[in-house]
Formats: sequence, structure tokens, C-alpha cells
Amino acid sequence: MLKYNKHINLLYLFIAFIVLFSIEGFAHGVDDSTRNFLNNNTGLQIIPFIYIGAKHMVTGYDHLLFLVGVLFFLHRSRDVLLYVSMFTIGHSLTLMTGVLANIQVNAYLIDAIIGLSVVYKGFDNLGGFKHFFGKQPCPKKAVLIFGLFHGFGLATKIQEFQLPSEGLAANLLSFNLGVELGQFLALMFILLAINYWRQFDSFQKFATTTNTALMSAGFMLVGMQLTGYFIN
Amino acid sequence: MESNRQNRSLVKATLISLIVAAIVLVLFILPAEYNIDPTGVGQSLGLTVFNEVSEDTSVVTNGKGNSEEDAVVITVPAGRGVEYKLAMEQFKKVTYEWVTDGSDLYVDLHGEPKGDTTGYFESYTIATVHEMNGSFTAPYTGSHGWYWKNKSDQDVKITLSFSGDYVIEGLK
Repeated sequence: MLKYNKHINLLYLFIAFIVLFSIEGFAHGVDDSTRNFLNNNTGLQIIPFIYIGAKHMVTGYDHLLFLVGVLFFLHRSRDVLLYVSMFTIGHSLTLMTGVLANIQVNAYLIDAIIGLSVVYKGFDNLGGFKHFFGKQPCPKKAVLIFGLFHGFGLATKIQEFQLPSEGLAANLLSFNLGVELGQFLALMFILLAINYWRQFDSFQKFATTTNTALMSAGFMLVGMQLTGYFIN
Repeated sequence: MESNRQNRSLVKATLISLIVAAIVLVLFILPAEYNIDPTGVGQSLGLTVFNEVSEDTSVVTNGKGNSEEDAVVITVPAGRGVEYKLAMEQFKKVTYEWVTDGSDLYVDLHGEPKGDTTGYFESYTIATVHEMNGSFTAPYTGSHGWYWKNKSDQDVKITLSFSGDYVIEGLK
């Protein structure tokens, strides 16, 4: 029995990595067609910006990993709504101020912090903070604070294009709206998958493995981004 | 007692996640992303193909390359970006040199696989400079070349010359 479990665990880790790498192809900040659009279009562009924002979120695996960690142990829809709102408030604030105030943060460092947020949430889900520090740091605050960092990441990405100031605020609002839409779409899938899985015994059994894999993925993101920071 | 057990399992989980991450980083991610390949595993798996920018001129070509040099002057309008691309077969090489009439440009030398519709591209060099020279070998058949972005409020002229094995696609 125990032996069988070990195998399943290994298989599980393996699948997690395969998934991680298959998404690797999306890791480019913004693709050529998007770049092309942004360079050739000025003025108010509400729908395209909504689309870019949504696409960015759906294909942004670092944001998604963090959300998986946040939602892992939430089963009341009220809680889900509350935490997602926290995250949204956080990244909307910094996305807007970051671009409007022209604050440039090094993308590698921000992405490393986002990787760190994934590690943090994995460790938190394993009960690490409760155990080692006697109490868990307020998870709502943590989500809000990491939301702020995620927003700076988004702001840095969109600033790569020196957007024309004409219609900038409205375009940004559209981008932000798109980010929320994309987040909502991604959330639906994540929630469906987690809630479906929750019905089975294996959910509890593999909770440790899943969150260990989550931490590991976070460490990979941190390592990848910090390496990028140091060699560039 | 219980606490000790939890201690152990937490430390174990953290260590395992770190070790796995380190292994995957060193073997797969760093070779593919940054061409950092201490073990050589990335190379043997072909993961470093994304970054193959051959710096030496001893690369064997089939001798059928365009021996003459092409040159073009490109104007990048203020606040805008332009692309200049070459159609290249896999493993063909181009040697290039470009210089602006003064100010720095953001440049992204990159390639897109032929027939790809997903918008995928792979960057070989990204910098903000006023001149650059070098060579690259196309990791796959497709469209390879430069994207320049002029972040200043003055138009910038680029003089680009290149030679090698390609068909000019030109401005995009």
C-alpha cells in the first residue's frame, strides 16, 4: 500500500512539471501581434485592451499558481469572493499608479517576488507559519500585499510599450478590466477542478504533495527570474 | 511528539521542494532560458537551441551563402517601432552590423518559426544601444530579424548591413 502511494506521488510530481513546462511557451511577456497592435494604434482602444489584459492573466502561469495556492483550502464561496477581491484591489492599485506615475520596477525582481508569493502560499498551506511562528500571518493581508506586487508586475509589462498618453487612463482601465475578466475565467476553471477533486479522499491525502509541488514551482520561478536579473 | 513529527514533515516538504526546484532549474530551465548549462544535460536534450547565437566564424556553411553584402537605411519614427525581417532556413547564418545616427534604440533580435500562428517568438538579443554587430544562426526555419523601438521624440535613422544565407522579407 505504502509503496503504491510513493509511486503515485512521484507520478504526480512528474505531471505537475510537465504541466509547468507546457505552459512555458507562454512565458514571453507579450507576443508579436500584441506588440504590433500597441505600436500601430493610438487613442482609445477599449476592447483590444480588455482582450490583452485577459490574455495576460489567463496565460500568466505565475499569477495562476498563486491563485491555486490561495484557493486550495477555501470552500465557502463567500471566502473565495473575499480573497479574490483582496487580490484584485491590490493589483489594480499598483497597476494603475505604476503606469500613470511612470514607476518602472525591474521586471525580473518583481517576477521573483511573485515566485516568492507562490512559495509563501504553499508553505502557508502546509501549516508552516502556524507551526514555526505560533500563528499564521493574516492571510487576507498577505493576499492583498502580494496583490500589490503582482500589479507592479503587470504595470512593468505594459510600460514596455511607452503607451501614447492619448486615452491612456481609459485604456489602462480597460486593461485592468481585462485582467479581472481573465482572472475570473481562470478562477472558474481552478475552482471547478479543486472542488471536483475535493470530493475524493485523495484531496486530503495529496494536500501535502500538492503544496510541496506548489512551493517547488515557486522556487523555480524565483531561481529563473533571479538568474535573469543577475545576467542581464 | 506530534509537534516533532510535524516539524520533520514541514522541513522535509520544504527541502524536497527546494531540491526538486534546483534540479529542474539546473537541468532544464536555465539551459533553455539563458543558455546556462553547467551539466550539459540541457545541450544533450537540445534545450539550448533557443539561445544558439554562434559567435565564432568557424561555422561550416555550405558555401552557397550570398557572398555580397546587403545594406538598407531604415527610419524609426519617434515613439514607434519597426521590424525588419529575413526569411531563413534552419541553421543558416547571418552576420550583421547596424548603427543609428545618434540616439539609442531598444532592439529585440528575434525569430518566429515558419507557419506558426500562435504569435510565438524567441528573442536572441534584447538591448538598448545605438550600434550592434554580430551574427546568429537560425535555430529553426522561419522569419528572423530585428524589432527596433524608438523611445525618443526624434526620428532615428538606422544603417543596417548584413550578409549570409537568407531571403529578404524587409520591413513589416
